[in-house]
Amino acid sequence: MNTKMDNLEEYAVARKPSMWEVLTSERYFKWTLLIPLLLLLGVFMLYPLFYCIYYSFHEWGMRGEAVFVGLHNYREMLNDKAFLKAFGRTLYVLAICISCELLIGLGLAMLWSREFKGQNIVRGLCLLPLLVAPLILSLLWNFMCEYDFGAINQILDAIGLGKVYWWSPKFALYTICLITIWQWFPFSVFVLVAGLRSLPRDVFEAAKVDGASGWYTFRRLTLPMLSPLIMIIVVLRAMWLIRLFDPLYGTTRGGVRTELLDWTVYRTAFVFFDIGYGSAMALFSLLLTIAICAIAFRLLMRALAR
Amino acid sequence: MIRKVLFWLVTLIVLFIVIGPLVWIYLTAVKSPGDIFTTELKRLILFEPTLDNFKRLFTDYPYWYNLANTAIASVVSTAIVMIVSMLAAYSFARWNTGYGHLLFLTISTRMFPPVVAAIPFFMMYRTFGLLDTHVGIILLYIYFNTSFATFLLYGFFKEVPKELEQAAMIDGYGRMEVFRKVVFPLVGPGLAVTTVFCLIWSWNEFFYAFLFTRVSARTVTVLISSFWGSIEVQYGPMAAGAAITILPTLLAAWFMQRYIIRGLTFGAVKG
Repeated sequence: MNTKMDNLEEYAVARKPSMWEVLTSERYFKWTLLIPLLLLLGVFMLYPLFYCIYYSFHEWGMRGEAVFVGLHNYREMLNDKAFLKAFGRTLYVLAICISCELLIGLGLAMLWSREFKGQNIVRGLCLLPLLVAPLILSLLWNFMCEYDFGAINQILDAIGLGKVYWWSPKFALYTICLITIWQWFPFSVFVLVAGLRSLPRDVFEAAKVDGASGWYTFRRLTLPMLSPLIMIIVVLRAMWLIRLFDPLYGTTRGGVRTELLDWTVYRTAFVFFDIGYGSAMALFSLLLTIAICAIAFRLLMRALAR
Repeated sequence: MIRKVLFWLVTLIVLFIVIGPLVWIYLTAVKSPGDIFTTELKRLILFEPTLDNFKRLFTDYPYWYNLANTAIASVVSTAIVMIVSMLAAYSFARWNTGYGHLLFLTISTRMFPPVVAAIPFFMMYRTFGLLDTHVGIILLYIYFNTSFATFLLYGFFKEVPKELEQAAMIDGYGRMEVFRKVVFPLVGPGLAVTTVFCLIWSWNEFFYAFLFTRVSARTVTVLISSFWGSIEVQYGPMAAGAAITILPTLLAAWFMQRYIIRGLTFGAVKG
């Protein structure tokens, strides 16, 4: 046995392994597989990141030399009323959309938690809007919410509720929320349906035997058991909502008090060509997302490990 | 009995709310301008269907050309993304390479607000003359799909039992062969689902396309967005274009319904 091993080692030393052999060897194979990804990330992630950090300390209008201004851009950002308003508005939209989606989601998930005839058709139809381009949907809603000839107002008028100025400064932000909620509530519904169907039956039967009321069971049993899923919904939706852009472009284009965080960055960098200031704001937006993403990652990994 | 009626009543109302607007796209697409801008409720539903909007869309606008641009960008970027992320996801799933830190780094690129990458890339593209080219937009789509695909595939690869691979290695298979002959067939459905998702994300993409393409590489979402906000609003061609553009995504959603929730939650919830 021993001699044989020695021979093998000798053989290995005698012949220099080829590049391919090294790359696919037990030791390095896992890194070999990662090479393309790391290259991609290096170019597409680190480069923009450092670029943004660099220019966030400079004043630059796409032409001429960039002037180093230190923390000026950041200071300006904190004193910029329009920016802070957009930030606050983004948080507001986040709160409205997520809470509405969760409430609708919970309600409908409870309704559809048992298996029923035609459930696949119901699910299939409900999931249809999820994968449609948000831009196209926002254009559609923009059209349907038109004051005079929009379908929504005409139906409201026919029922006797009267027409609504959907795109007035008072309502526009809520209309955008409505569009987003409309597209995404099926997501919460079916995540929660999946959760409800995987809950252990016997616990609920025991609660029933013990004479627990429906509400009590829901509050004390169902909700706590669903909470990991609810957290996943909240975090994922927060991440997607923070960079809401398409629905704005398709409807108000940032007018009538609907300017959100990413729209402000877009306008600063690509309409006013203020790259330095835009970079500073972009970094702010990034930090916010990374914070949420860190939480999301933990939750997702925990769910995957199960 | 009453419970059952109530149940179906609520279900039908929800379905109406969800499906109604989508149907509206198709109804609007076959309406004449007079029927689109009518204020009579009756004429909203009862109208004479016409194909004029489609005709105008095909003759007055480069619809097919832009649709082809979208298709090229989606297919090419997805093919490259799948190769890169398949290898990486396998490494992450099998050896936990980088102890989760690298995986986090990967997924956080997907979470980057698009504007963060848009500013530097715009400058870079301007220097290299990549603005409004297919290569440029394909690179961007690769960038934003890779991390998503890697994480989704990571979940699928995790489901392949390690023992199976070890058995194959004992039988004398090399690493490459194990991957090709044992793991690859087992994650087939996962690969298919991930591919379709990547295709759809690039198909629907608007922000980058809007900033980085103008004429020769303009994608279909940008074309459709241009119908609104110009001097006169072209609802007819807009609806006609939208009707064709969303058709593949609707079909995908219908046939993948079992996997949509899984995909959207990055594999965490198996719907």
